Amino acid sequence: MGNNSGGNMITEEILKNRADFEDKTRKLIGRPVLLIELDIFALPCGCAGITANMRGLEVDDLEVFEPQILQLVKEMAARFEIKPTVTFARLVPGSSIVASLNWRTLCMRCYPEFARGEGKMPRPDLYMLQFERRK
Amino acid sequence: MKLFVPSPGHIDSLKELLKQKEKIYSIFMAGSPDYIGTGRSNLASPQLEDIKEQTEFAHKNGVKMELVLNSSCMGGRQLTPEGFRVNHWYIEKLVDIGIDSIVVADPYLVETISRDFDVDVVVSVLAFVDSPQKAEFFENLGAKSIVIDSNVNRHFDILHAIRDSVDCELKLLVNEGCLYRCPFRYAHFNFFSHAFGPEPRPNVLDDYYYLKCLELRIENPELITKSPWIRPEDLKLYRDITDVYKIGGRTHFVDWILNCVNAYYNESYDGNLMDLLDCPKDLKDLYNIPNKSFDGILEKQWMNCKKVCNKCGYCRTLTKKVVQVYSNGGTELEKCLPWETIAVET
Repeated sequence: MGNNSGGNMITEEILKNRADFEDKTRKLIGRPVLLIELDIFALPCGCAGITANMRGLEVDDLEVFEPQILQLVKEMAARFEIKPTVTFARLVPGSSIVASLNWRTLCMRCYPEFARGEGKMPRPDLYMLQFERRK
Repeated sequence: MKLFVPSPGHIDSLKELLKQKEKIYSIFMAGSPDYIGTGRSNLASPQLEDIKEQTEFAHKNGVKMELVLNSSCMGGRQLTPEGFRVNHWYIEKLVDIGIDSIVVADPYLVETISRDFDVDVVVSVLAFVDSPQKAEFFENLGAKSIVIDSNVNRHFDILHAIRDSVDCELKLLVNEGCLYRCPFRYAHFNFFSHAFGPEPRPNVLDDYYYLKCLELRIENPELITKSPWIRPEDLKLYRDITDVYKIGGRTHFVDWILNCVNAYYNESYDGNLMDLLDCPKDLKDLYNIPNKSFDGILEKQWMNCKKVCNKCGYCRTLTKKVVQVYSNGGTELEKCLPWETIAVET
């Protein structure tokens, strides 16, 4: 453990945001959940966003604290200047386990895949927190 | 003391490990997944020529080489004529290479390998030998060594009964941090056996058993306290049972493995207990549990514990006293807080 950013502003910011998100989530749900890896990603299709790989977070937590968790997600996305069109949790199918939280700016190709599904769980491994439909 | 030490499976790892060869009795590593496979995850799939090179290097340095083929489920393939032929061919090649011992979990393989080959057969911890009767059974099948089910690592009555019942070597897996009496154990090792065995391999994105295991310990770190790990300082209490110890961790960096080797070789570790536990490694960035805070606990409590946790509460109280949680990890504000300050009791 320990700070290893080497003075780089971007890595410092990512480390700070990881710790901050973890801390706020712990205070929210009253359990020392672990944000084991915070990733900022870009995909070849054109999607980009953030993935927070969580340990100890459960579907029940999302159901109870959805507005608060969504707010935390929005705050971090704003800090990284990412405007998510979709925010979802990836679950281990059929279980209560939340493997990760994902906020993504969808590309033109991937948008229809998300737009076609309805309800909170368009796929057994996805729990939708927010989706911005195009007009 | 004989220390069996894991290797991630390639020659570069082995060379680094054997820089401290004076502390290592034997290296163990997995073989190719294309034959029998193993019951745990692997980083490498060494082919016969790689195994030969590494075995020769180990022997040149006075260290033995053990191959782990401890798949807990082969889907019955081992019982087919083709499976028997292929597995026998593979074992024959390993014996020709000069492997010193082969670890298997399936009783059928214990019997056939010990009967047909001049190599020591070791019964894997995944054969779950947790009684003198099972130990006798495997010894009668031809086992030269048995890795005792780690679930009974703190059941000294059973350990002594096993020691009194067989003449073969007994090994203790010292740093497995699995849940005590883990309900996932069979399903998880069967899953690994297929994921790290011959084709077809399941394409699984998330390992339910592992993630659920972590979730349970995040909710309740008492489960870490109760895991049947053996601290380096407590090896002395096992001397009348065995002096052969196995360190788990073949998916770790060499530096991590050598840290464990030094801790167990010196029978002392002044750091976070989580540094030593093979599993669950993800939680070493969550919990700080000073290893020395468990000084004397095995003698005082666990050696004679009846394991009726809801009537006892000793481990619950101990956990609250010693477990700390990293807060603001990875930043300048990082600190350790008592677990209770973060967790809401349910």
